[in-house]
Amino acid sequence: MRRRRRAPVPEVMGAIRDLSDRRAPGPIPTVEGTTTEGVPLPAIEIVNLRKRYGDTVAVEDVSLSVEAGEIFGVLGRNGAGKTTTVETVAGLRRPDGGTVRVFGIDPQRDRRRLRQVLGVQLQETALHAALTVRELMRLHRSFYRDGADPDELVERVGLTGQRRTRFEALSGGQQQRLNIALALLGRPRAVILDELTTGLDPEARRQMWGAVERLREGGVTVLLVSHHMEEVERLCDRVALLDSGRVAAVDSPAGLVAGAGLEQVVRLKAAAAFDLAVLEAVEEARSVRAVGDQVVVTGSGNLLHAVSAALVRAEVVVLDTRFERASLEDAFLALTGSAFDDETSER
Amino acid sequence: MSDVATIPARRPGPRAWAALVAAEAKMVMRDTSGLVIPFGLPLLVLVMNGLSSRDADDLAGYSVFEGYVLPVALTMVVAVIGVVNMPSFLAYYRRSKVLRRLAVTPANPGMILVAQVVVSLAQSMVGVALGVGAAMLFFDVGLPANLGTALAVFGLAALSMYAVGMFVAAVAPSGNAAVAIGLSLFFAFGATGGMFGPTEVLPGPIAVIGEALPFGAAVKAFGAAWIGADLNPAHLIAMVVAIAVSSAVAVAAFRWD
Repeated sequence: MRRRRRAPVPEVMGAIRDLSDRRAPGPIPTVEGTTTEGVPLPAIEIVNLRKRYGDTVAVEDVSLSVEAGEIFGVLGRNGAGKTTTVETVAGLRRPDGGTVRVFGIDPQRDRRRLRQVLGVQLQETALHAALTVRELMRLHRSFYRDGADPDELVERVGLTGQRRTRFEALSGGQQQRLNIALALLGRPRAVILDELTTGLDPEARRQMWGAVERLREGGVTVLLVSHHMEEVERLCDRVALLDSGRVAAVDSPAGLVAGAGLEQVVRLKAAAAFDLAVLEAVEEARSVRAVGDQVVVTGSGNLLHAVSAALVRAEVVVLDTRFERASLEDAFLALTGSAFDDETSER
Repeated sequence: MSDVATIPARRPGPRAWAALVAAEAKMVMRDTSGLVIPFGLPLLVLVMNGLSSRDADDLAGYSVFEGYVLPVALTMVVAVIGVVNMPSFLAYYRRSKVLRRLAVTPANPGMILVAQVVVSLAQSMVGVALGVGAAMLFFDVGLPANLGTALAVFGLAALSMYAVGMFVAAVAPSGNAAVAIGLSLFFAFGATGGMFGPTEVLPGPIAVIGEALPFGAAVKAFGAAWIGADLNPAHLIAMVVAIAVSSAVAVAAFRWD
């Protein structure tokens, strides 16, 4: 067993976590990479990455270590440096400073090796418009000596019905799914998925999430760039929060929420008025107020449980209880000190 | 220290090249509107001129049709494909980030350029075969007097047009812009190079410029090869210069994304 996470991951938004060991042999039969101490080599390692375009600093100082087999999220506003970071990992950009390694490979110096282990789905790229799904799959399959079966992959991403459809006639979601299938053709050990579900409708988005979860089951390491909080909360084992070209925090989604020190809120409606002192005595509660016919309790820790227990002890009959925990979005705001959709600080 | 050394650094093999050429061929064949001008226009020029000017027989036993009309039509095929069609594909591939997508696979985006040139060359050969075939069938034209020279001139003309096409692809921001720039160049080359009438009727300096450009030079060289006259080395040099200058600018200006 290898250590897979820095923090324990409690249930997050109802997503079922597969906590079994996901270690799977890589597609290329090799000895697992280890350092001399026998510690597993990270799948992707970024140390003090720096990149500027002219006067604009895209990445100030980013260090990340992605373990083999995990889904690692990169979250941040537009202009935070997410895409520059992953494009450097993909070998498309030369860093101004720092080092990047993918399974020990330097993406700048050893691009041919990199392409054998890293599949990439980029933002806003197109394919030969007049070629069909099947033709594109066969074309890209010819680039790899060993790889996956194109028809099988097409089925896995749910495009079997579109096999004879030209790329230009596919919907946005279908194009994205084709892009993912193409990224997987060489049976990569790691894939970069950049803004996977941007512009997709909720149904297509859920299908994509299913596809990514199946990747994890196959032992593929995923570097997922996203704007979408629910996506990150549902899919990622760990998340790096990028802010103005720096790493603001790295943790599990739940760990980020907990680490932001945000309050929880319990709203309840009792059958009859009761003495609020019952709740004020609860250690976890920070404030207790009556708002109309509701009682609102804020606090931290295991607030819901403590409040329920106190009410039962005081024999208060509760008609309705609502529990609000901080979301990843709230944590994002707290950790970066600005609104997620605020794009004024961009560039 | 790691398994890096065991990961093979593989280049795409012959299968990838074949698949890319096949992909480009499909792209070109499915772009129906792009087939009309390179195949249709030269045929039209041949037929219209062939119907009207066949009796003129004053080029050392060869007709004006053989010494001038046919060379213009063949040069048009090569020029439209090289200067207009090919760059429009390449500029579109860059604009829509097809090249960028290819850059993250083991295939090099440069491979798509080569594949596009191969397909364009095949397309030019089909167009030339159509033109020559029609001329032989309907207008009693024989094979060129110097077949080898004619083939060499075809090769040189094609290369010079593709070099100009690469220049267009390098400077055009989009597929549409490439068509606009390419067509403008094509008509400028054509107007000064004899596409709308013999260069002899043009003002002197313009005729000279026209013959120094690849279209005019190719027309003259094709004509000479067809009727067995001596090639003017100036026309060959003009095409070689076009290749050198255009490729140099294209290489300097080309952007992958």
